[in-house]
Amino acid sequence: MTNESKPTSWQRDPALPFQRMDEEAIVVDPRTREVHLLNETGARIWELLATAASLDELVATLADEYEGAAPEALRAEVEAFVAELGGKGLLAARGRA
Amino acid sequence: MSEREPLCHDQDVLGKPGAGAEGFALISRVQDWASRNTVPLNASIEITLRCNIRCLHCYNFDRDEPRAACDKPELGTDEILRVIEELRAAGCLFLMLTGGEVLSHPDLFRFLDRARELNLAVQLLTNGTMLRPGVAARLASYENLQGASVSLYGATPEVHDAITQMPGSWRRTWDGVERLRHLGVVVRLKFIVMKQNAHEVAAMRAQADDRGYPYMIDLTITSRHDGSTGSLATRVDRAQLEALYRGPLGDLAVTRVRSTEDNFPCNCARGNVAITATGDVLPCVSVPWTAGNVREQPFAEIWARSPVFERIRGLRIADYEHCAPCDHRDYCKRNRGAAVTASGSYTGIDPFVCATAELAHQLADERAAEEATPRAAESPVRARLAVVR
Repeated sequence: MTNESKPTSWQRDPALPFQRMDEEAIVVDPRTREVHLLNETGARIWELLATAASLDELVATLADEYEGAAPEALRAEVEAFVAELGGKGLLAARGRA
Repeated sequence: MSEREPLCHDQDVLGKPGAGAEGFALISRVQDWASRNTVPLNASIEITLRCNIRCLHCYNFDRDEPRAACDKPELGTDEILRVIEELRAAGCLFLMLTGGEVLSHPDLFRFLDRARELNLAVQLLTNGTMLRPGVAARLASYENLQGASVSLYGATPEVHDAITQMPGSWRRTWDGVERLRHLGVVVRLKFIVMKQNAHEVAAMRAQADDRGYPYMIDLTITSRHDGSTGSLATRVDRAQLEALYRGPLGDLAVTRVRSTEDNFPCNCARGNVAITATGDVLPCVSVPWTAGNVREQPFAEIWARSPVFERIRGLRIADYEHCAPCDHRDYCKRNRGAAVTASGSYTGIDPFVCATAELAHQLADERAAEEATPRAAESPVRARLAVVR
């Protein structure tokens, strides 16, 4: 247990350079000197994170776009991906519960 | 400062790799994608020709002479801002701002602001002499600043300052470099090797290594874009080149890449594009072959339909009439900028580049022969002595 509350919404760091490459996307983080390659779904989530979005909003949008995706599995995937983005410092600080 | 910062792998540049293997592979993949799909992922804008130093080798124009009266006016701030937007819309991700001296432009920070808003990764090419504390701090505040490339022309103030024709510039450049790195900005040094500093190459490399800076080494000196050729007097001659390749540049001299139709063309007009200070659109910052002007035509239109770009994109190895049959072509850096300035033709040659390739080939053969020669067995006595030591 930690005292840190969970974020309720996320937004990508608006200053980070990125570029779509067909279905994928590349995100450059000059501060860490890292380059990240996002797959098709990751690129779509990155796009959605241009404005602040909650997990529910992200999952709802993706569920509409990826027909046949099991809702629980989708939710877990999105949550893990967003956590990974956050862990790499690619997200801007947003609201917390 | 006015050197070209090559964006593609086949410039006449001897580099020290800075990225890890994984990062390098990813960047290569992205660059291949841009090249295959002709997306101008890498763009440079010469935001001004003004410069506070007067380098002997400057490729812009002869800085000891007044600017030619027929020169077109430089792009204004609003025009540069528009070009940045147009480049982004066309797919640019890596934007290099160069000059002249970028820090002499009063609106540099407006360009950086716009680049940040547009999620562009920015590199600055600077001589570093204007990196005063406030300027450096402001630059370091840009999250999208990938780094600065700073040119150095000597290991000592005497040699460097004689080339820049500005007393104190070596000290000021190093002060700026250290200041910027201290603030967390990646600084890469660029050593331009020429007649005047060839004897300091080993010391320049040692200085960078000692201080922990990545660096690249460039021997490319061409005639100037104003047509003057005085810069060529600074180019190392064949004997100096050989001494360098057999001496302090020996570890970087030989690179062999088997030529194929896929790798023979460079990234010019495929993943690279350059905009000059007067708005001309070039296939690469090194190549003075104008495809259009952003004052007269939208960038996207020039990029998509310029006959110059179409010609470059359609070239096959056989179209390079001198290079196609050349025995040394796999060792050649194939510097198109040097070829254009020396011969007037994109598919032409620069004899200096040819001599460099020939020498690299010769060294490769010598090294291969040396490796193939069985070493004489050492005497048991000598071996014992070696163990004792």
